Amino acid sequence: MAEPIVQGQKLTKRYGELVAVDAVDFDVARGECVAFLGPNGAGKTTLMRMVFSAVARSEGELRVFGLTPIDDRKRINAAVGVVFQENNLDEELDVLDNLRIYAKYCGLDRRTARRRCAELLELMSLSEKAQSKVRELSGGMMRRLMIARALLGDPRLLILDEPTTGLDPQVRHAIWAVLRRLKREGLTILLTTHYMEEAQALADRVTIMDRGKIILCGPPARLIEEQMERFVLQAAGLERRPRVPDSVRHEQVGDADYFYCAAEEPLRALAGELPPSGVVLRHANLEDVFFKFTGRGLHE
Amino acid sequence: MRAQVDRLEQGRRAETGAPRLRTGRLWSLYGVWYRHVQVYRQTLWANALPPVLEPLLFFSAIAFGLGPYLPSFEGMPYRAFIASGIIATSAMFTGAFETTFGTFVRLVFQRTYDSMLGTHLEVSEMFTGELLFTATKGLVFSAIVMGITAAFGVRLNPWCALVPLVGAATGYLFGALGLVVCSYVKTINNFNFFLSGVISPMFFFSGTFFPIRGIHPVLDVISQIVPLTHAVELSRALYRGAFETSHLWNLGALALYTVALHVIAIRRMQRRVVG
Repeated sequence: MAEPIVQGQKLTKRYGELVAVDAVDFDVARGECVAFLGPNGAGKTTLMRMVFSAVARSEGELRVFGLTPIDDRKRINAAVGVVFQENNLDEELDVLDNLRIYAKYCGLDRRTARRRCAELLELMSLSEKAQSKVRELSGGMMRRLMIARALLGDPRLLILDEPTTGLDPQVRHAIWAVLRRLKREGLTILLTTHYMEEAQALADRVTIMDRGKIILCGPPARLIEEQMERFVLQAAGLERRPRVPDSVRHEQVGDADYFYCAAEEPLRALAGELPPSGVVLRHANLEDVFFKFTGRGLHE
Repeated sequence: MRAQVDRLEQGRRAETGAPRLRTGRLWSLYGVWYRHVQVYRQTLWANALPPVLEPLLFFSAIAFGLGPYLPSFEGMPYRAFIASGIIATSAMFTGAFETTFGTFVRLVFQRTYDSMLGTHLEVSEMFTGELLFTATKGLVFSAIVMGITAAFGVRLNPWCALVPLVGAATGYLFGALGLVVCSYVKTINNFNFFLSGVISPMFFFSGTFFPIRGIHPVLDVISQIVPLTHAVELSRALYRGAFETSHLWNLGALALYTVALHVIAIRRMQRRVVG
């Protein structure tokens, strides 16, 4: 593996009694995209915030570019771009002014700022909106503006906290395309998400977190292969349960039934016995892995 | 020195591979200050009305209504006495409001500091930049109020050119006090305790409207403790163009309060923002 850009060992964050991040070991290599998946309150955001010195760690070690967050905040963050989960743009100002101000925070000189603003507006398809007030933008445009803003200082590490939550599929795919392009150009990306699809589309490695701990980490395809049967039969609202052969694992959650099997044939046979509506036979995916380890019930 | 900085800079880029950015403290402070000025400009009329209009109302009501019945105070006509006092209080209000309601809204609702945390800005730079903005407001509004009272016939002298500097110091000081309060406050309504319980009574205890000295020994002590007194005394000395050694004490007290509150404010906000 290439040299790690971010490395955490026994990294812990406590808020009083609550342990938000619990003795976590992880690393991110140069040029890699790592996605942190987990239910709400799993500790993903806190972990990200420790990386860019917005939250002080309670225990353990954390190195970013070989430097220590908080102590070396300035030097680390000069090479980091952050896209926040919640909109924190200056809504009173127009799109270009938002970028100009952020360029000033970053310390870009005027000429570089002008060039970067134009390039990034172009990259995020916002050039025509340069003079629009932020509050007139759609949610998707705001998120694209936040990504443009994070890229102003030409960072070496991009941190995105749920970059596409609440956006429509078109915008989501457009954002993924940009992120993949940035990754090809060598940018290291660290992101949190609720969307398995997003993790699968972008990440070299997926890290599943639950209740402050890392449960599983690896390339998405490998996780699915190692942790799951290949096929899943999914049914809802069954009035009576069919007899399940030994080769099939059965799980019942609420009114839904899941049947897992390494081979397709037993599930096909099983599907034949069930009423056709609401029955789906498919390949196992990352979501199945996620549920296997974090449970299908609500987490609140 | 320059070579050393360059070497450090090269070292920084070697470690992180980051492009060259101006990460110096002055640039950072300028960036934050610039942001506040830009946003404030958008709502200039709505925002700038109270700090100009309120002191003006006080001035006209008291100077014109009450003034004709009153003798001169501390060797100056009552109109000038009152003008020199309300200049300091308007700087106080503009500073304290900015870092109580304003900062709280940025902290909790707009998440402005979060966006700054995503850059290399230090928390100390974020809030020092903000205090430089409240100082700027103190400077500008005290100059405006001074200009208006002059238009109403209060005589100025060359020393009055320094009055906006007293306004700037007052804006910084009360901005820092507001930040300290803001760092403790959980809901926005709690600021009323501070504004009605601390800031408004300062009007009374600092001798803005009448000389406080000699009324009662306890009041004398209180008036020396509240920071606004020292700003009012300095502003008044400049209006008179006459100075005593006691004004050095006023200057020292103002500086001491400003430095102490700055240090506490930055430390408190560091804890509130980063934890």
